[in-house]
Amino acid sequence: MRHRRLRRVRNRRAVLVIAVCAIAAAPLAAQAAQSPAPPAAAPPSPLSTAVVALGLRDPSLDAGVVRGGEVVLARGFEVELARLLVRRLGAHLARFVELRPAARIVAGGASSWQLGLAGIEPSPQGRATGVLSDPYLTTDAAVVLRRHLPRPRSIADLRGHVLCAVRGGDEARAIATVVRPKAAPLLATGLDRLREQLRTGACDVAVVPAVDTGRFLRGHGAELGPAAGRIPSGRGFVVAVARGGGLDVTAVNAVLQQMRNDGTLGRLARTWLGLDPASLRVLR
Amino acid sequence: MTVAPALGGTVARHGQVWFVRDGEPVAVSRTAPAMPGLLRALLAGPTRAERAKGLRSAIPAGTDVRELTIARRVVTVDLGGRFAAGRDEASLTSRVGQLVRTFRAVPGVVGVRIRVEGGVPVGLFPGYDLRRTIRAPLASRSAPSLRDTQQLLADLGFMARTGVTGRPGDETSVAVLAFEKWTGMPRDGVLGAAVVKALARATRPEPVRRAPGKRVELLLDRQVALAIVNDRVERVFHISSGSSGRTPTGSFHVYRKERLSWSVPFSVWMPWASYFTGGIAFHEYSYVPAYPASHGCVRMMARDAPLMYAFATTGTPVDVLRGRA
Repeated sequence: MRHRRLRRVRNRRAVLVIAVCAIAAAPLAAQAAQSPAPPAAAPPSPLSTAVVALGLRDPSLDAGVVRGGEVVLARGFEVELARLLVRRLGAHLARFVELRPAARIVAGGASSWQLGLAGIEPSPQGRATGVLSDPYLTTDAAVVLRRHLPRPRSIADLRGHVLCAVRGGDEARAIATVVRPKAAPLLATGLDRLREQLRTGACDVAVVPAVDTGRFLRGHGAELGPAAGRIPSGRGFVVAVARGGGLDVTAVNAVLQQMRNDGTLGRLARTWLGLDPASLRVLR
Repeated sequence: MTVAPALGGTVARHGQVWFVRDGEPVAVSRTAPAMPGLLRALLAGPTRAERAKGLRSAIPAGTDVRELTIARRVVTVDLGGRFAAGRDEASLTSRVGQLVRTFRAVPGVVGVRIRVEGGVPVGLFPGYDLRRTIRAPLASRSAPSLRDTQQLLADLGFMARTGVTGRPGDETSVAVLAFEKWTGMPRDGVLGAAVVKALARATRPEPVRRAPGKRVELLLDRQVALAIVNDRVERVFHISSGSSGRTPTGSFHVYRKERLSWSVPFSVWMPWASYFTGGIAFHEYSYVPAYPASHGCVRMMARDAPLMYAFATTGTPVDVLRGRA
């Protein structure tokens, strides 16, 4: 009886959620239908305060305490980047909010925030919408060696070694499609297991996400070899800029470029990620 | 500290609070009138005597408690922002473990919800999803499972990957024995605490000599044979060579292979025999002790001998070395 009542309540909730989603999506869909091409760039209104959306998930990138949708005690690479970005855009950071899942940031539409920094790695279509900035952090695959292994100078130098990566990740795909080693790679269940394989010498070269390389090596420098380079993917994390939020992507890109040039991005990466992925040599 | 009325009835006269020693959780007894007292004892950290014994608390000093409630046998503790201070991941994980272990040790408590500054910590404490009720702390790393240890032995080349089963057995013992021989530990084949500790910092064996291609190194002092491909040790085998220096040292090649060889002088069958000098061969034998015991041949376990037979094809170089020096 109780179960049946529970099920009925759950069903009602599901119907309600679907209805709310449909109502919310309708104006967006209509808007999309009316304007298939991105709207002509309107002169951005001056931004005085900014609300930044985060997709909390990682102590190095962005983490915090969520209270009623607002992020208090926020910290991490993206948090610091957002603070600096907003300041250099001439605005005042009002607050951080959490947006789950982060993919909703890219969906666009009316939003209660002006900038989104949530580890957004856009598809080419996403980038074409004109609301995403240039990458501020590369998501290439980094190459970490076991101890005493000579540094590779090219991807071809990796082919004779036993490679390893986390199963199902982009790095495992990079091994299969870009490196194409002679021996079958070892696939680990997680970064801890991958580190163990590299430490023991079960594999010679671990291919890890560039953003996680600092953490992968932290505290294990004596057991592992160095990060010797990265396999370029051309992708990276980008800033989402809300439409009609008083900012345009060009201004954000300009500030990001300035931060790249003056070393701010590299310094933030070294502080929060332990290593600046952009400083790794590109292997070709 | 705000304490919900429901908590007043939860009395824990002799409770445990958890600290850490060398990163591992350690329980100590405390006499506290109720759960808030236990929490206060935990936040106060180890006593001077306990500190002298190496106990530490990962919870930052000065962390305040905003609220402590219990409902449906789940403790909810709301702490000040200092609880999330610092960026050392091990410390952040440990402090959540300390809280969870301390509350879970109270009879009747089934879970712990942790709040910081009245909100839900997200992504701050690696390994824990604090959006949910925590029922158990993360497992300690000092006591790896048998499967983990077997996996390590396989990663290091002391065992075949097929031996990673999570079940104890002869294959694991032989791999442990080979590891003990390699590292110079007492040779008993027992997976004890010393072996587990040594495995945790071990790296794959390196060959003595450098040369391209496939070859075998036989280290008489350690009583192991290394199967090497392009200077990478693929496998380390537990062997027993000739007693009283009957196995000659030098550089040889496998020159004859017999799936089942008959030893004329000793009237015994030697399966999976790979001869590399005179009448000296790698072969299977029923008894492979941890010391040199043969008449000169290299005895191998029944599971390992076919692997060496397949590896050491005719012409494969075999370096018999007295030791690594």
